[in-house]
Amino acid sequence: MSEPFEPKIVAFVCTYCTYAGADLAGTSRLKYAPNVRIVRLPCTGRISPMFILKALQKGADTVLVSGCHPGDCHFTAGNYHARRRWTVFRALLAFTGIPEERIRFSWVSAAEGAKFAEMINEITEQTRKLGPFTQYQELQKVIETQSTY
Amino acid sequence: MGIQEQYRSEAAALLSSGEVKLVIGFGEGSTADRRRPLFARTPEEAQKFVLDAACIANLSTYLVTEGLLSDGKKVAVFLKPDGIRSVNILISEAQLKPDQVVILGYAIDKAEITALEGRNISDFSLGEEIRSHTPPPHILQEAERIEEMNPAERFEFWKAHFSKCIKCYACRQVCPMCYCRRCIVDVNQPQWVSTSSHTLGNFEWNIVRAFHLAGRCAACGACDRACPVNIPLRLVNYRMGKEVIDAFDYCAGENSSQKPVLASFKQDDPETFIL
Ligand code: SF4
Ligand code: SF4
Repeated sequence: MSEPFEPKIVAFVCTYCTYAGADLAGTSRLKYAPNVRIVRLPCTGRISPMFILKALQKGADTVLVSGCHPGDCHFTAGNYHARRRWTVFRALLAFTGIPEERIRFSWVSAAEGAKFAEMINEITEQTRKLGPFTQYQELQKVIETQSTY
Repeated sequence: MGIQEQYRSEAAALLSSGEVKLVIGFGEGSTADRRRPLFARTPEEAQKFVLDAACIANLSTYLVTEGLLSDGKKVAVFLKPDGIRSVNILISEAQLKPDQVVILGYAIDKAEITALEGRNISDFSLGEEIRSHTPPPHILQEAERIEEMNPAERFEFWKAHFSKCIKCYACRQVCPMCYCRRCIVDVNQPQWVSTSSHTLGNFEWNIVRAFHLAGRCAACGACDRACPVNIPLRLVNYRMGKEVIDAFDYCAGENSSQKPVLASFKQDDPETFIL
């Protein structure tokens, strides 16, 4: 019998807000899906779109990017810059056919432990429904196609 | 006097007076309908310039050649409006000093070629023209067709195209905006983009290229023409250009003083997709 599908979710979070929020969820003993692997970064402004591509390359089924609410950035404006970048990157991924549900964005403050836990549960359930992101992972196996040009 | 004669003598005059050290223009190409870049350093060489409706390349890409302008001297260059637009972008990104570039401008309308007034970048105002400019109908139709597909179909469409990519980086080489000394695809610690010849690496490369040109592309079409396997790069470029106009009311290269779109922000930028 094959193993049931367990979603792999990678979350890139900033240390000042979302990571602290995740920490609060933990210290408040809130239970949330164990499917998320958290990568802590100094700021959302440090979260390069390359990280998202790398996570997908290594087999993530859904990627979450999260940081401080607008106005709350520890470095004043990192999240405003990040927001513009995400807007453009998201449009690009959508245009190339990478489903929008696979890449999620959120603002979670250090006080929002409950929001973090609920969100992870929701994303995990949604990913479970979507199934593994084989469409992308299979690309690794496509070496060459016959083409006429 | 035709425009070719006019610009030949103007180029010769610029060189003999010593105002510029180099004129970048077009010369005869390998076939009757093709032109290749010609670099004139003497008035005699300037007599070999050709200027006609086949001169479609965007020569501004040579302006960012490493070290070319570091001696502070001036260079003149033949540019169409899309080339002037890329000069605006390069200046706004601090890659060029406006006074180091003398522009010999021309416009092509079908087979007609006309000279543009002005020699300094500040003489040209492109704003209205490029904002209201719509790409040719076949590009619009193709882009619309892709938008109407569902994600799975879009994915298949691009997979079929990107699987052909041979990572020759011709698209990067011709692009005036691709001036980074070390491109992200060449970085190997860590290796962000897979280099092996599977489609995943090609997908990543093309996504990165398009993302790094979002809000910076001058829509000159050079990458699209250069691609040896005919990947419709114009479609991604067009889509990204549209995104920055729609989301941030920003049109790259309108003038040389704008702040690059991804290096600036407004507090009330749209964010409907953020949870
Ligand atoms: S991306 Fe292509 S169309 Fe845009 S500026 Fe570069 S070469 Fe020109
Ligand atoms: S020019 Fe075409 S084949 Fe070459 S790297 Fe660019 S997209 Fe790939």
